[in-house]
Amino acid sequence: MSFLFTSCAPKERRLKANDRLGWIAAAGEGPLGLYIHIPFCARKCPYCDFNTYARLDPLYEAYTQALCREMGRWAARLDGRTVDTVFLGGGTPTVLSSGQLGRILQQVHERFKLAGGAEISSEANPGIEDQGQFALLRRLGVNRLSMGVQSFQAAELEFLGRIHDAEDALRAYDAALEAGFANINLDFMFGLPRQSVEAWNDSLDIALDLAPRHLSLYSLIVEPETPLAHWVETGQSPAPDDDVAAEMYEVAISRLREAGYEQYEVSNWVQGAGFACRHNLLYWRNQEWIGVGPGAHSHLRYPAGSEGASTGERSFPFGGACEGVTGSDAPAAAVRWSNVKGVQGYIRRVEADESPVSFHEALPAEVSMGETMMLGLRLVREGVPFARFEAMHGQPLRAAFGPSLDRLHDGGLLESDGERVRLTPRGLLVGNRVFSEFVA
Amino acid sequence: MNLDHIRNFCIIAHIDHGKSTLADRLIQHTGTVTDREMKEQLLDSMDLEREKGVTIKASAVRMIYQRQSDGEPPVDYEMNLIDTPGHVDFTYEVKRALQACEGAVLVVDASQGIQAQTVAHLLAAMELDLTIVPVLNKIDLPAAVPDEVAQDIEDLLAVPAADILRISAKDSVNIEEVLQEIVKEVPPPQGNAGEKLQALIFDCHYDPYKGVVAYIRVVNGTLSAPAALLAISSDKRIDPIEIGVLTPAPVKASRLTAGEVGYIATGLKSVQDLDVGDTVTLASDPAAEPLPGYEPMKPMVFAGLYPTDSDSYHDLRDALEKLHLNDGALTFEPETSQALGFGFRLGFLGLFHMEIVQERLEREYDLDIIFTAPSVAYRVVTTSGSEFLLESPADLPDASEIERIEEPWCSLQIYAPSEYIGPILEMVTKRRGRVVNQLWLDTKRVELSFQIPLAEIIVDFYNELKARTRGYASMDYVLQEYHASDMVKLDVLVNGHPVDALSIIIHRENAFYKGQRMVSKMKEIIPRQQFVVPIQAAIGNKVISRANVKAVRKDVLSKCYGGDVTRKRKLLENQKAGKKRMKMVGSVEIPQEAFMTVLSLEDE
Repeated sequence: MSFLFTSCAPKERRLKANDRLGWIAAAGEGPLGLYIHIPFCARKCPYCDFNTYARLDPLYEAYTQALCREMGRWAARLDGRTVDTVFLGGGTPTVLSSGQLGRILQQVHERFKLAGGAEISSEANPGIEDQGQFALLRRLGVNRLSMGVQSFQAAELEFLGRIHDAEDALRAYDAALEAGFANINLDFMFGLPRQSVEAWNDSLDIALDLAPRHLSLYSLIVEPETPLAHWVETGQSPAPDDDVAAEMYEVAISRLREAGYEQYEVSNWVQGAGFACRHNLLYWRNQEWIGVGPGAHSHLRYPAGSEGASTGERSFPFGGACEGVTGSDAPAAAVRWSNVKGVQGYIRRVEADESPVSFHEALPAEVSMGETMMLGLRLVREGVPFARFEAMHGQPLRAAFGPSLDRLHDGGLLESDGERVRLTPRGLLVGNRVFSEFVA
Repeated sequence: MNLDHIRNFCIIAHIDHGKSTLADRLIQHTGTVTDREMKEQLLDSMDLEREKGVTIKASAVRMIYQRQSDGEPPVDYEMNLIDTPGHVDFTYEVKRALQACEGAVLVVDASQGIQAQTVAHLLAAMELDLTIVPVLNKIDLPAAVPDEVAQDIEDLLAVPAADILRISAKDSVNIEEVLQEIVKEVPPPQGNAGEKLQALIFDCHYDPYKGVVAYIRVVNGTLSAPAALLAISSDKRIDPIEIGVLTPAPVKASRLTAGEVGYIATGLKSVQDLDVGDTVTLASDPAAEPLPGYEPMKPMVFAGLYPTDSDSYHDLRDALEKLHLNDGALTFEPETSQALGFGFRLGFLGLFHMEIVQERLEREYDLDIIFTAPSVAYRVVTTSGSEFLLESPADLPDASEIERIEEPWCSLQIYAPSEYIGPILEMVTKRRGRVVNQLWLDTKRVELSFQIPLAEIIVDFYNELKARTRGYASMDYVLQEYHASDMVKLDVLVNGHPVDALSIIIHRENAFYKGQRMVSKMKEIIPRQQFVVPIQAAIGNKVISRANVKAVRKDVLSKCYGGDVTRKRKLLENQKAGKKRMKMVGSVEIPQEAFMTVLSLEDE
């Protein structure tokens, strides 16, 4: 794999390569998202395997500076390409001071060309923010808020290691409304060990009373190497019961439908047109985004017929000492990369004007098409439209995956209305079996 | 050479009691091979073994022993040491090797005493009227109790304990005395060089250059190169490439006469072409009768053998063919299992033979293999009156066509310290064994005799015996006649489809318990499918145990955002790759590991 060596090239070449990356980024014509990672939390939750750290307060200032610097470099590379969505995620962005948040968002507004009516989301966690901070976010142009409520049951919140209680969550929601947020998402988790269906219904009752525009309901996954995984392995906690989780999921699907919500993605519901998260839709539609901050991922498509859509070295326009590299000799249709995960390493590299990229992979056409399916089929109503697939990949969906489509259709897991394929209600429950048909 | 100056003998010993060390010392002591040659030769044969995948071992060694006695000129004796296979499954070959001798040196470890296999071989030797020369080995060991063991030997052989030689083969103590004793005690061979040729084949092996090499003892007549020969029982013509003696390197000879031991390089291409125990005679002037004792070899234990990776099927075939070159008792035929793919049905003489083959395939050929549950050769008598030996449960006819099933029984001897009588009786009776006799060898050791179905001792019996007696027990068994038995075929059905690899023939009394265990094990290891999967154990149409694998209700990644795509894609790729390794039984995907787990399931 020759590109392994190019990643160790001298600095001059790195900078040259980075210019090429900028060229690819600037050349795209579709919607573009900007993900900004804030890798800090007041406390790390025992189930969480995100790239986030507690007790790194001393780095907040240096981090803000490095992050702004990386954004500045990207803004220059994009060379005026419009950014359609911005997502401030983490971690808990609101652990940063008003000043730090202000500088980050100011950088977004000043350096990037934002589309008119761009969606700017921020994550928030009850118990951290006060009314003033919500108001600040509003003033800084944030127009969508996603709050990690997780549960309204005290025992569950304790198990999940959350720093807030149910009252905090209600207060935070009210404060966000008062600060002027109309587009609010609440995150919940189900399928927790020892969680009863009744308790889940209770949490749903309260959530539905609040009537947020958007709800995300996630089935708890025991991720490897988390404290939760250790608890399960050592018997300190029972493992989540798949059957109970399935029942809770079905309960949620039917109750939210009755309450007027539309399930637009496997774990996401929306009330009212236009409130689906546009940034996340970029992911599910396998479109393009730039991620900044440690561990942040980016994904760009090579412009059709571009020089980049070829093999070998030229497919990997990266510098930096990359650890994980995957790819094949097939022409690349898209490229994905991510930054180093450690906060200090990230700051050091950015401040030294080195590339913070530590992983990249070139995606051959067939892999990229598989991702389009695996991601697109998560969109319950929209599915994968035939026209968009063909426009994106240069060949009809049926030509790429005909036999798989037929098999899944016959198995009752996929359906088509002539314009798109999407999961059937049964397919939704066993989505992995459908998605895995399309991967290598 | 004058027959009076020939001694043909073998060494009988339990494993690790020092048979090969003593053989080496005799060879060195007689100057047959120098110390340096000894080492080099050993290395050479090992290299060759590695290179050719064949075992080069001398089955017989001719030594010239110069006997010194007071006041007399030294006399040369031709001492033919004939090797005997070590394992009880080769009882037949052991007997043929014994048949080629007039005497046997009985080697007993002075620290461990007499073991079951020693006695079995000893009895066989006594049956053939061999002169027994008992020897106590390893007297150098601190744990040696030579007086006690000598007393045991006296009880067994009626040889005065005081007369028994005490040696250390390792330290070359009293090796000369062993040779003197053999010359003194073992009678010279009888036989008439003038009669028609009768030569007993007591072993053979495959040599890549000379074809099958037969080891023979000329009983009557004279064998001269290069006369055309005939193997009487199998009616096979042999045009020998050469004849000779083993020193232990093969040395061509022009003739072998009655009483002598040597080899015939037959040029035959497969060891199956020649049977141990057969009699060789002159094609032009044949003897009327073969020597007694010949039986064609018959496998008694069968098992399916499959590569864990179907890509290595051909490697497995190559390995079996190589093994087969030197192991005429091993049989194999292609077999296909729905669950395990392409493999072979192997036939073995018995459980030790099966273990040896299994070990050699894994060690020498570095293959990952699955053995299905071993089965014995059942005799099936059908309602139409025909009769056949059943080698695979898959071949059992419908119950309505079966008049009766007979299973082979054996007599089983177990030697153990007496404190283990209880646990041994318990495990043997649990396995349908019947106690025949209890014999106290001394105050501490006992010989237990049983009648037991062969099927009951081929799976984990020996391991369990060792475990229950902390390794102190030894066992031996001899096949006896077939008895009608209430045997049934137990099938495991997944979603209504029988899983061929899991079918077993089992006694009705044990079927229920075994069925339950297999069902609960399968339930644990079959992954949940999109539908409920019933698992049943059944005898014919009668279900005796059942359980359900619940259907998957939900299997969908709950979260997938921008930072997850690669990881989640890989997760799905792995899921898909895992699915490819699944075996389909009906419409149910079962991981191959499931079969391995169930098949390796040990009975407790």
